[in-house]
Amino acid sequence: MSVKYVPVQWNRFKWGYDAVLLAGMAVFLWAFLRIDAAVLGHAREVSGPIRNARAFGACAFAMMTIILCIGPLARLDARFLPLLYNRRHFGVLTAAVALSHASLILNWYFAFSPAERYQTVLFANTSYAGGVAGFPFETFGIFALLALLILAATSHDFWLAFLTPPVWKGLHYLIYPAYAAVVAHVAWGALLDRGSGTFTWVVFAGALGVVVLHLIAALKDRRGVRPETSDWIDAGDPATIAEGRARIVILPSGDRVAIFRHQGQLSAISNACAHQNGPLGEGRIIDCLVTCPWHGFQYEPRTGRAPPPFTEMVPTFALRIVAGRVQVDPTTAPPGTPQAPVPIPGAVTA
Amino acid sequence: MSERPFFVGYVGLPRGSRGFAAALAVVLVLGAGLLATMVARSVDDPGPGAFRFDLGPQKVTGIVELTPAPVLHVTEGTSTIAPGHTLMLSGQGKNGALPRARALEGRLATASGILLTRGTLDMLQIGGGEAGLGPATGASAPALPAPEPLGRWALAGEICDGKCASGAMLPGLGIAHKACANLCILNGLPPVFVSTRPVAGASFLLIAGTAEAPMPPELYDWVGEYVTLEGLVRRHGDLLVLTVDPATLERAP
Repeated sequence: MSVKYVPVQWNRFKWGYDAVLLAGMAVFLWAFLRIDAAVLGHAREVSGPIRNARAFGACAFAMMTIILCIGPLARLDARFLPLLYNRRHFGVLTAAVALSHASLILNWYFAFSPAERYQTVLFANTSYAGGVAGFPFETFGIFALLALLILAATSHDFWLAFLTPPVWKGLHYLIYPAYAAVVAHVAWGALLDRGSGTFTWVVFAGALGVVVLHLIAALKDRRGVRPETSDWIDAGDPATIAEGRARIVILPSGDRVAIFRHQGQLSAISNACAHQNGPLGEGRIIDCLVTCPWHGFQYEPRTGRAPPPFTEMVPTFALRIVAGRVQVDPTTAPPGTPQAPVPIPGAVTA
Repeated sequence: MSERPFFVGYVGLPRGSRGFAAALAVVLVLGAGLLATMVARSVDDPGPGAFRFDLGPQKVTGIVELTPAPVLHVTEGTSTIAPGHTLMLSGQGKNGALPRARALEGRLATASGILLTRGTLDMLQIGGGEAGLGPATGASAPALPAPEPLGRWALAGEICDGKCASGAMLPGLGIAHKACANLCILNGLPPVFVSTRPVAGASFLLIAGTAEAPMPPELYDWVGEYVTLEGLVRRHGDLLVLTVDPATLERAP
């Protein structure tokens, strides 16, 4: 959280995260490029720029696959949350690797010609209606690269505030069509061309892993039942909510409410963090503040307001206890609206 | 709910999470190396083509013929290039030699440059200026070798550009190379057909163009793919030239 924009708010964890990222990328490229013609038993080496382009391209595919697995993994197992915290650095590095791949391709396959390389990549193969095999797979790559560059350029919190979270979040869903385009780019290019069994299985397994993890995470999210009544919603026995933790309740609208227990009293706020829609109900109360599990944004549980000087706010909800059960009013109060906390019968309050 | 330690990024890893995070980091780095090795080991052999810089510049004399891609029927060769051999000619990069060869059609010329070789496919990348390709002095041109018709053939293989296929790029064939091959041919480099089975001893056949284009335009959509086709084959010197019947082109299964 910050009240001013700086390029990167470094902390010790981010340094460590980025060091592991860079090490992983460096090891990937080193391991790829050390496999030369002598190791493979080939008479001649693959052209240097093509080898490099393949290494960077495969690395970018692997990085995108991991990035897309982080979200659902963190939903399914909180131990993966540290991967999510600094995921934007992962994305920016991936865009840089993909750009390196594109640059190597442009400066080899589309260079050495009288025409400009940025033009030749568009007109050299126009077999869009010529059948599956000869389709200009470069088009998929161009789309994916542009999407990655847009996401990287707008990854900073300045753009999140400038575009507003809904627009920013919607824009960053571009990662999904971008990944689909990358899979198509690889399938139409490398796989159709070389028909390599190993690489085919790597791509297939990666894409399948992304899809399956998202389905499992989505199924987990849908386990709650959406009530059809517009009356107060039953949220169960308040005594079973752990101190400093929340229970998530689904409203008839489909929105989720996080009912937090703090010092023996209950307060309800929206489950969606104002920062990036992180699941607040999966967070905890730290220093009397609801703390988002994704990036640590904090809110006062009774008002849904971030502590000064921060300005983020989330909607709040009224609670009541009837016959020993907590109920939530499905009417959404505007972000930052104070709500009286509800004492849990028999609980010790501060 | 799990009682695992709660992670807040700007606070740092809680003690109970450090082991798992460290294990993740190790898996990520070692997994990256393992994955890269697996993928890199699946790379196909790019073939035996190559720029023969090791042979040094080659200077030969011969008769220029246009198909319209320029070829040179060698009359005075080198220790590497024998008289009677037929070389395809190319310019630097993705530039054909046709603009420079047009004025020399049917004439005796000297050509100097670097040889590219792959199997029966030989190409000379000529240098700049008249030193690269210019009229031969002091000798009259012998007659062009008469083309020898070899009949109509049904063939399977790939259409590509002769320069990349002969080793300028490794690999210089295949779908991933299609746009590059198209660009090369559009710029006047000789189109070739790589046959899966030899035709009269040659697996590489120069594709005849039209008066207006180095390759019939109908063929561009089929470049880089595994296709079957029919066409007339003629021997020009020791080089086979294929006139493709576009109506017979089909994707091979």
